[in-house]
Amino acid sequence: MIRLNGILVSKGEGGVYGERTLEGYRVWDPYRSKLAALYLVGKGIDLLPETKVLYLGAANGTTVSHVADYVEVVYAVEFAPRPMQDLLEVARRRKNVMPIMADASRPEQYAPLVEMVDLLYQDVAQPDQAAIALANCAFLKPGGHLILMLKTRSVDIRKEPAEIFRDTLDILISAGITVTESTWLAPYHQDHAAIVCTR
Amino acid sequence: MQPCWFGDVDDGTCIPFTGDAAACARRIRDLRTGRDAIVPVDWQQAVACGICHDRAEYLALLQNVCIAGSEQAVKEQYAAKDVELLQMVRTLDEMDTVVNLLSERVADWYQIRHPSFSRKYRRTPAHVLVKSVGGRGGAIGKVAAGITSLADTRTALAKEVSGRACEVMPNTSALIGGLVAARLLSQAGGLKELSRMPASLIQVLGARTALFAHIRTNAPSPKHGIIFQHRRVHNAPRETRGKVARVLAGKLAIAARLDYYRGSAVPAFLEDAQARIDRSGASEEGDQS
Repeated sequence: MIRLNGILVSKGEGGVYGERTLEGYRVWDPYRSKLAALYLVGKGIDLLPETKVLYLGAANGTTVSHVADYVEVVYAVEFAPRPMQDLLEVARRRKNVMPIMADASRPEQYAPLVEMVDLLYQDVAQPDQAAIALANCAFLKPGGHLILMLKTRSVDIRKEPAEIFRDTLDILISAGITVTESTWLAPYHQDHAAIVCTR
Repeated sequence: MQPCWFGDVDDGTCIPFTGDAAACARRIRDLRTGRDAIVPVDWQQAVACGICHDRAEYLALLQNVCIAGSEQAVKEQYAAKDVELLQMVRTLDEMDTVVNLLSERVADWYQIRHPSFSRKYRRTPAHVLVKSVGGRGGAIGKVAAGITSLADTRTALAKEVSGRACEVMPNTSALIGGLVAARLLSQAGGLKELSRMPASLIQVLGARTALFAHIRTNAPSPKHGIIFQHRRVHNAPRETRGKVARVLAGKLAIAARLDYYRGSAVPAFLEDAQARIDRSGASEEGDQS
């Protein structure tokens, strides 16, 4: 990962969402992007030029654009039409972004488009986030990595975030996935946790 | 056999799909693969298939298909009948808020310029005062005139919303009126979502704070949300209101499903439902629930 004086950046064509640039690099803001926050509070998984990524919950494509700066190809899955329009703009200016409008909990819908990936990144506001991740592990090659951005408030608003964090870890471990890192994303994102796993 | 975006792959042999990106995208949308049958695509097969020569070409072609497919999907979503109604009713409700806020503000402002102590002036409602201020000069007159014209637009929009709701959700609108039906739709997030809701949720749609207060603590459960706006609920005596709301919500749940899956008014159901709701508001002994 490229850092300039401790600031996380990526190298690519700027002006995607009005981000700042620093010496020709695009600044990757941890307050806007959970993945950037993970690289600052934890270790994460290094993005390499040959990495293939399946990105669930692509939203407007801001984080997607940074990931695309680092890796070979990003399959960006998004469900809602409004953010998809922004994501399409990102895809038109980046050769390695594949926008897919589909429901991440129905991976069979986009199976004819997606190849085997090295990294599965998930950031969806759904109650069954662990189940969605497990269903999409079909695209993850053995030894590949999963980064699950757990939005605890989307799982169950009545439960304590820490309890949901534990439950989700249990589900993943009992499904035979090795959790290598798990951390809260404070102070950048409240009640959000990152879980890094290896298949 | 494994369907891929570039064709069908079967044990090393491959039948390429000929057609442009848009046709390709349509084919994928129509494919129905099983949940257990998820096999990721192997790009080498596209080369074997004669679709492309190298990785760069593969990605370029795939991107065309992905963009075409997503554009189709967005257009399809926006073409649904309820999507525009959703925006219309949300605009309407926001206009209400704005008009009320500004009217109160102008009324306060006017009081400072023309302090009056008579009862008549203090009793004048804000919207009436705004109308009378509208004709006068200065910034306050312009603001007041703006509010009046916004209020007129609002009235016109309300008519349109209610007309559109009768088209999109004929059964629900017949039971509860176009405006309230549209508000239910807006809270649910779409006709499909509304049609999949249980009656008990429709009953308390729009009473989120009260509902969560009930779930969290032992506060009493809300009896009605948006459906309170219907005269049958708010005109009912306090002790039967909960019952009327429950019966009405039950019929609304059925009506929403009829609207989504059938799309036209069902007179037999409506007659029956109206009678049932009327009965729920009547005396206790005549009730069968």
